[in-house]
Amino acid sequence: MRSDPDLAHAAAQGNEAAFAELVRRHQGKVRGMARRLAGSEATGDDIAQVTFLTAWQKISTYAGGTFSAWICTICWREFLQWRRRQKLEIEFDETAEIIPFDRSADQNEMRMDLTHALETLSEAQRVCVVLCVATGLTHQEAADVTGWPLGTVKSHVQRGVALLRTRLENANVA
Amino acid sequence: MREQDAYKDLSDLFRVEDNALPAEPFTRQVMHRVRKQKMMRRFVVGSLGLAGAGIAALQLPALLGEWVGIDKTVTQALTTAPTELSTAAVNQLSAAAMSNPMWLAIAAGAALCAFAVSAFERA
Repeated sequence: MRSDPDLAHAAAQGNEAAFAELVRRHQGKVRGMARRLAGSEATGDDIAQVTFLTAWQKISTYAGGTFSAWICTICWREFLQWRRRQKLEIEFDETAEIIPFDRSADQNEMRMDLTHALETLSEAQRVCVVLCVATGLTHQEAADVTGWPLGTVKSHVQRGVALLRTRLENANVA
Repeated sequence: MREQDAYKDLSDLFRVEDNALPAEPFTRQVMHRVRKQKMMRRFVVGSLGLAGAGIAALQLPALLGEWVGIDKTVTQALTTAPTELSTAAVNQLSAAAMSNPMWLAIAAGAALCAFAVSAFERA
């Protein structure tokens, strides 16, 4: 099986099949990350698609290292852009109801699963837990992706994980 | 112990969710957009290139029309320039020689040196 850097090198030469293989390999991680950050499956998939399109355009700038961290950095930036647009739209329409997450029907059933437990965390904790726990980045990689200090990332992950466990335990007990 | 080991159980739960996402439809959609973007870029670059080539081609008749004039001007300049230059040089040299004959000697010395060097090089 070809390694990620090999595939990225081939994709940089214009090999679409190589890039498709990279998409196939990392789509789960990237979609999961985008969905959890945006709090919506549809929006998350849109962000993930834009992430891969940007990756295709910038694939020649990938200079080795962990491909996951590289693609997650792009995903994080796309998420921030999406959130900026959202804020602008909300500011523009003053009468709009501000709903941070797209609540689907199953959420009304008060089901406290992993995703919903994640949504109860503060945004900074959620971001750090999504990057480190769900996406599998190291604390240092997450700090590089977000631009936050390493210590901050570590403490957010620690507190976020503790809260997540508590919420999940409570949900199981209930 | 690696930092990820502290929450491996949670990571596994998330991984199960991510692995359950169907890869093929998403990959097809992404690749469709990649191809579309590639074609669009080719079209834009090609169109701009053709437009540029067209504008350049449109300038050719005007350029060719000017060619006769340019050719004449250049030929005339090349023909008259040496004559004018040599006349001016002789005039300046004679004026310098008349004011001080030492200049004539220096010019003769310099000419002799130049002749010697060129003769040596040929040998």
